[in-house]
Amino acid sequence: MKRFLTALGLTLFGLTIVVPLVWVLISSLKSGAEIFSTPWSLPSGFAIQNYENAWKKEGIGPSFLNTLFVTLATMAILIPVGSMAAYIFAKYPFRGSKILFGAFLGGMMFPNFLIVIPLYFLLKSLSLYDTHTGLIIAYVAYSLSFTIFVLTGFFQALPNELAEASELDGCGHFGTFWRVMLPLARPGLIVVGIFNAIGLWNEYPLAKVLLNSSEKRTLPLTIVDMATNQQYSSDWGALFAGLVIVMLPVMIVYWFFRDRIHETMLAGAVKG
Amino acid sequence: MKARRNRTAFILAFLSPAVLLYGLFVVWPLAQAFYLSLFRWRGVSAKKTFIGADNYIALTQDDAFHIALKNNMWLLFVGGSCLLVLGVLLAHGMQSNSRGVRFLRGLYLFPQVISLVVVAIIWQFLLNPSYGLASKGLEKVGIHGYGQPLATSSQALTAVGIAFVWYAVGFYVMLFSAGLKQIPEEIGEAAQLDGSAGWHRFWKVTWPLLWSVKRISTIYIVINVLNIFALVWVMTEGGPNRATETLLTLLYRTAFKESAFGYGTSVAVANFAIAMILAAILMFIYRRSPEERRA
Repeated sequence: MKRFLTALGLTLFGLTIVVPLVWVLISSLKSGAEIFSTPWSLPSGFAIQNYENAWKKEGIGPSFLNTLFVTLATMAILIPVGSMAAYIFAKYPFRGSKILFGAFLGGMMFPNFLIVIPLYFLLKSLSLYDTHTGLIIAYVAYSLSFTIFVLTGFFQALPNELAEASELDGCGHFGTFWRVMLPLARPGLIVVGIFNAIGLWNEYPLAKVLLNSSEKRTLPLTIVDMATNQQYSSDWGALFAGLVIVMLPVMIVYWFFRDRIHETMLAGAVKG
Repeated sequence: MKARRNRTAFILAFLSPAVLLYGLFVVWPLAQAFYLSLFRWRGVSAKKTFIGADNYIALTQDDAFHIALKNNMWLLFVGGSCLLVLGVLLAHGMQSNSRGVRFLRGLYLFPQVISLVVVAIIWQFLLNPSYGLASKGLEKVGIHGYGQPLATSSQALTAVGIAFVWYAVGFYVMLFSAGLKQIPEEIGEAAQLDGSAGWHRFWKVTWPLLWSVKRISTIYIVINVLNIFALVWVMTEGGPNRATETLLTLLYRTAFKESAFGYGTSVAVANFAIAMILAAILMFIYRRSPEERRA
C-alpha cells in the first residue's frame, strides 16, 4: 500500500511535467480555432502549416541557423581553449596555479548579470556589439569556468605514468597532450560539449543585451518576440510550433545522454 | 635547463588563450562593475560623474528596490521551501534503481534543459484565462471564476513562483537522491533494529545525515533565486505594478530601458552582495557535520 502511494505520487508529479510539454506538442498540430475551443483534446488533423508559418513567416528558420552557428562556433573555440587550460591545471602545477584555478572557478559563483552592463560597453567600444562574433566571445569567456572545472577533473584522473611513457618515447609536451591525453579524455570532452551546447542553445539574457538587429537574433529572442506579438497577430499555431522547434532538439540530445549529464551536473554541484 | 624552459613555454602557450579571454571579458568587466556603481552615468562616456556611495544610498530609499528585494526574498523563502520539501520527498520515494525510477529522474529534469524562455511562455499559456489548460481544466471540474493570475497584483508572484519551482525541482531531486545514496546501509539497518521507522526514522536519522546536501542545495537556491531574470521578464516583465519585480528585472529596466547605467550597476552589486551574505550565513549554519558537532 505504501509502495503504491509512493509510486502514485511520483507518477502524478511526473505528469505535471509531461502534460504541459505534450500539450505544447499537440497544440502545435492544431488549427488556431481548435487551440481556443478545445485545448484538452487531440488535434483533428496535422496542421503542418503551423511549422511552415513559424519557420518562414515568423523568422524561426533564420534564428535557428543563427543559434546553430553561434553554438557551434562557441564550442569550436571553447573546447580547445578550455581543455588546454584544464590540462595545465591538472598536469603542470606551477607556483600560483592553484590561485589561478580558483579565479576561474570563481566565475561559476556570481551571476552573469553582475557584469552585463560593463560587458555591453566593452563590446561597444570594440565594435563587437550586435555581432555574432561579440556574442560568441562573451559565451566562450562565460563558459570557461565550468568547462575548465570539469575537464581538469578528467585530466587529473588520467595516470601520470602514461604521460611519462609517452615522453620517453620522444613525444614532446604537445605530442603527449595531443596523441595520448586528449583521446583518453574524450568522454569528458563529449559531456562538457553537450552540457555547454544545451546551455548556449537556450541562452537568453546575454543575447538580449548584446544583440539588436532582428536578422541576427537567436532562437530564444525570436520566440519571445513571437509570444509578445501574438497578442496582436494571433497565429497561435505557429507560436506553439515555434516552441517545439526551440525545445525539441535539446530534449532529444538530453534524453540520449541523460545519465552522463546527471553525473556532470552532480559533480559540478557537489564539488563546485 | 632546456627542458625547464620548454615546460614554461608549453604552460604559457596552453594557458594564455583562456587567461586572456577570461581576463578581458569576465574579470575586467567584473572590476568595472564595482567601479561604475560609484558614478552617475547615462552611457555617454564624457558625462560620467563620480558620486561615491550616492547610488547605494539612493537604493536604500528607492521603493522599486524595496519591492524587488521583498519579491526576491519571498521567492527565496516560499519557493525555496517548496523546492527543499518537494526535492527531499520525491528523492525519498525514488530510492531504487528500477527502470521506472530512472525514467522519472530523467523526466523531472526536462524543464531544466529546455530554455527558461520556453518555460516562461508555456506557463503564460497554461495560465491564460481564455484557452489555457488551467482555466479550462477548472471549468471541467465545475470551478468557475478563474481570473487572470498574471495580470492580478495579488496572484502574479505566486504564479511566477510556481513556474520557478516547476522549472527547478528536478535539480534538487537529483541532489537529494545523491545524498540519500551516500547514507551507509548499516545506518538504516541499525535504525531498523532500534525500532525506528517511518516518519520518526526519517526525521531523526535520515534528515540530519543529509547535512551536506542541505548545505549545497540551500546555497544553490540562493544563487538560483537571485539569478531569476528570463522567467520573470518573459512572463510578466516585472508587472503588474511591479508585483513581480525582482532585482535583476529592476537592473535590466534601470540600465537598458532608462539608461541609468551607474544606478543599474549598483543594483547588480547589491544583488551580488546579498547573495554572498546569504551564502556566508548558510556556510556558517552548516559549518560542521552533525557528528562533529556532537563530538
